[in-house]
Amino acid sequence: MIRYIILRLIYTIVVIFGVSILVFIVTHVIGNPVNTMLPLQATDAERMALTHELGLDKPILIQLWDFLQSIIRLDFGNSWWQQVPALGIVLKRIPATLVLVVSAFALALVIALLLGILAAYKPGTLIDRLITNLSLVGICFPPFWVALMLILFFSVQMGWFYTSGYGTLKHAVLPVLTLSFIPAAHLVQIIRSSVAEQLNSQYITTARAKGVKEIVILFNHALKNAANAIATMFGFDFGRYLAGEAAAVEVVFGWPGIGTLIVDTIGKQDFPLLQAEVFTVALVICIINLITDISYGFFDPTIKY
Amino acid sequence: MLKNWKVIITVLVFLLLTVNMICLAQEKIVIALQGEPTTLDPQFADDGNMRAITDNLFDKLLVLNGKTLQPEPCLALEWDQISEITWQFKLRENVKFHNGEPFTAEDAVYSIKRIIDPAFKSQISGNFSTITDAKIVNTNTIMIITDGPDPILLKRLTFLDIVNKKYYENSADNIISTEPIGTGPYKIVEWNRGRDITIEQFEYYWNQKPPIQDVTYRFIQENSTRLAALKAGEINLAVNMLPEYLEQLPSYKTVNSIEFYFLRFNTIRGIMQNKLIRQAVNYAIDKEALAEALFLGNAVPARGQLAKEAYFGFNRNLDVYPYNPEKAKELLEEAGYNGEVVELISERGRWMKDGEISEAVASMISDVGINVKLTFLSWQQWLDTLFDLEKAPDIMYSSNGNDLFDMDRFYQAIIKTGGPQSAYSNPDIDKKIDIARNEMDPVKRQEMYEDLAQLVYDDPFGVPLINLKSIWGISDDLEWEPREDGRMLVSEMHLK
Repeated sequence: MIRYIILRLIYTIVVIFGVSILVFIVTHVIGNPVNTMLPLQATDAERMALTHELGLDKPILIQLWDFLQSIIRLDFGNSWWQQVPALGIVLKRIPATLVLVVSAFALALVIALLLGILAAYKPGTLIDRLITNLSLVGICFPPFWVALMLILFFSVQMGWFYTSGYGTLKHAVLPVLTLSFIPAAHLVQIIRSSVAEQLNSQYITTARAKGVKEIVILFNHALKNAANAIATMFGFDFGRYLAGEAAAVEVVFGWPGIGTLIVDTIGKQDFPLLQAEVFTVALVICIINLITDISYGFFDPTIKY
Repeated sequence: MLKNWKVIITVLVFLLLTVNMICLAQEKIVIALQGEPTTLDPQFADDGNMRAITDNLFDKLLVLNGKTLQPEPCLALEWDQISEITWQFKLRENVKFHNGEPFTAEDAVYSIKRIIDPAFKSQISGNFSTITDAKIVNTNTIMIITDGPDPILLKRLTFLDIVNKKYYENSADNIISTEPIGTGPYKIVEWNRGRDITIEQFEYYWNQKPPIQDVTYRFIQENSTRLAALKAGEINLAVNMLPEYLEQLPSYKTVNSIEFYFLRFNTIRGIMQNKLIRQAVNYAIDKEALAEALFLGNAVPARGQLAKEAYFGFNRNLDVYPYNPEKAKELLEEAGYNGEVVELISERGRWMKDGEISEAVASMISDVGINVKLTFLSWQQWLDTLFDLEKAPDIMYSSNGNDLFDMDRFYQAIIKTGGPQSAYSNPDIDKKIDIARNEMDPVKRQEMYEDLAQLVYDDPFGVPLINLKSIWGISDDLEWEPREDGRMLVSEMHLK
C-alpha cells in the first residue's frame, strides 16, 4: 500500500512537470503578452522596455530553465498585473471553489443515490424511464443557461436569492443548484446501471432466496459492490469541477473561485499567475485521482496494492 | 395656546429636518463593475475597473470638465507657462490626505516623479512621456519640465493621481496596492478579495461633500447577471449594458464613448496602395446601417475621423463618408481593379459586436465587387499583427480609444510613418504631425489638425466606421449624468 502511494506520488510529480512544460510552451506561442498589458497606443520603446522588464527578451530555453526552477522552489514569481506572489492569489481562491463544488457534489450524490437506486430497483418501469430520460436532459442543458434561468426565476421574479456574489447562504443556493445538475445526471446513470447489474447477479438471487431483507440487499450488497464504478465517476467529475470546469457557473454568478480567476488570467496573459494556476489545478486532479484509486480497495477487498 | 402650537410645530419641523438630514447622510449605493481591479495603485495599472474606483479616491492637479473636456483647476489652482518647456503650478492649500497628512508641493513632485520613473514600470507612463522632471519651488508651488513644447501637458495631468509621499515611499507593495491614500472625496473602507470593495465619504475633503455616503463596488463579469442584479434591486448602477437590454432596464443613460471602430488600410504594400480602391471601400460601407442594425441606434457613424466634437483637433467640416455603392464601382473600374483578393483581418470578442460588424463590413465591400477574404484571429494573434508592419493585411479591423482627447494621439500612433499601429506613410504629413505636436498656440494647432484630418480623409488611411455609445443601467432612484470622458464620479451622483 505504502509502496503504491509513493509510486503514485512520483507519477504525480512527473505529470505536473509535463503539464507545466506544456503550458509554458502554449503560453509562449500564442502571442506577446506585452501587447495585452500595454494600451494599444503605447510606443514601440515602451513595448521593448516592458519586454525586457519581464525577461521575455531572453532566449526561450533560458526562460524555460528559469521556469522549471521556479516550479521546484514553488515560487512562480509575482503576478504581472497584481504585483503580488502568484501562488498566493491562487490559494486564496481555492476556498470559494471548494465550498461551491463540495456542496454541489454532496447535493448531486444525495439526489443521484435516491433516483439511481429507485430506477435500478424497478428497471423498465415508467419511473425508471422517467429518471433515465430526465438525467439525459440534465446532461444536455448547458450550465450557464440553467444558471440564467434560475437567476431570472428565483432572484428577479421571486426575490428569494441573490443573483450573484459570495458570502451567505442566499448567495450560494443558486450556484450550488446549477453546478449539481450535470454531476447528478452523470451519477444517476452510473448508479442505475451498476446497481441494476448487481441486482441481476447470482449472489443477489441467493441472498433473496435466503430471505435477506430487500433494504439490506440494496444497500449492503448491491450498492457496495457498485461503489467502485460510482467512485470512478464521482472522482472524475469532482476533480474536473474543482479544477476549473465550474468556471462558467462561477462567472455567471460572480463567484470568486479559481474558475473566474483562470478565465480572467487567460485574457490578461499573466504568465506567472497562469502557471501557478495550472500547477495547482494539476496537483488537485492528481490528488483526487489518487484518493479515488485508494478508495477502490476500501470498497472492494479483493483489490490489493 | 397658540404660542405653544408654534413651538410644537417648530420642534416637529426641526426634528423632521434632522431625521431627513440623517437619512440623506446615510445614502448608500451599489455599483456593479465588470471585474475586480488588479490593484488600487492608480499610478501603476491601465485598468478600467480600477479607475472606476480610484477616480473617487484620488484628486489630480487638474480635472476635465465632464462636458467640454477642457482642463479645470483641482489640486492646482492656477498655472503659468514660464518658458517653452517649463510650467509653474500653484497648489491648493489646506488639503488633507485620507491619513491626515497635509497635501504639499513635495507630494505633487513625488507623484510626478514616481510615475515617470522607469524602474516603477507604470503601465500608463506613456501618458507622461514628455515630462522629464518636476521640482519644488516653495511649499505650494511646483515646476514641471518637459522634453519640448508640450501643448497637451494640462490634459496629461488630468490622468496623474496625486499620492501621499510619506505613505507611498514607506509602505510595502502589497499595502500600496490595496490601501490607497489620496485626497479625493471618498476613502477606502475595505476590499473583500473576489467579492467587493467599499468606499465612504472622506470627512476632511477640501471641497463640498457629495450627497452619497458610501459605495460598494461588486464585480460581476457576466452581462446578463449585471442586468438581473439591477432588475432584482441589488445594485444601483451597472456598467457596459448591451443595446438589447434597454427595454428591460429600469432606467439607463448613454453617452458617446471614446471607442471608435475603424478599418485600417495597408497603404505601404499591396493593392490598397491604390488611392482609388481605398476611396471605393469608403463609399461601399453604409455606416448608418451598421449603427442602426447592429447597435439599435446606440452608436453614431464616425464623422470621417476618429474623434468626437469635444476632442482637440476635431474637424467640423468633415462629415460621414457618403455611402454610394455606384460611385464605389466606378472608382474600382477606374482603378483597374480586376478581382484581386483583398485580405480583411479582424478579431472577435474584444469589443462589443466586433465579429458581427466585421462580417457586415466584409459583405458590403464584396457587394461592390471586391473579392474580400475575411479572417478572424485570436486577440493575441490580432495584436501581434497590429503591431507588426510586416504582417499588415490589406485591411485590418480595429478600434481606437483616444483617452487624452487630443488628436496628437491618433496621428502619432496610426498615421505617422513607423507609428506603432501605422500602415501609412507620407513624409509631408509626418512633418505636419511633428510641427503640430510642438505648436503651443491652440488656434494654430487646431488648424493644423483640421488640415491633417482633411488630408487623411481625401487620401484615406482607412474607414472611420462608428462611435459606440456606453450604456449604463441605472436603478429608478439614482440620478446621474454620464460624462464625455466616461469617468464614473460618485460625487456627481445622488439618490432621488
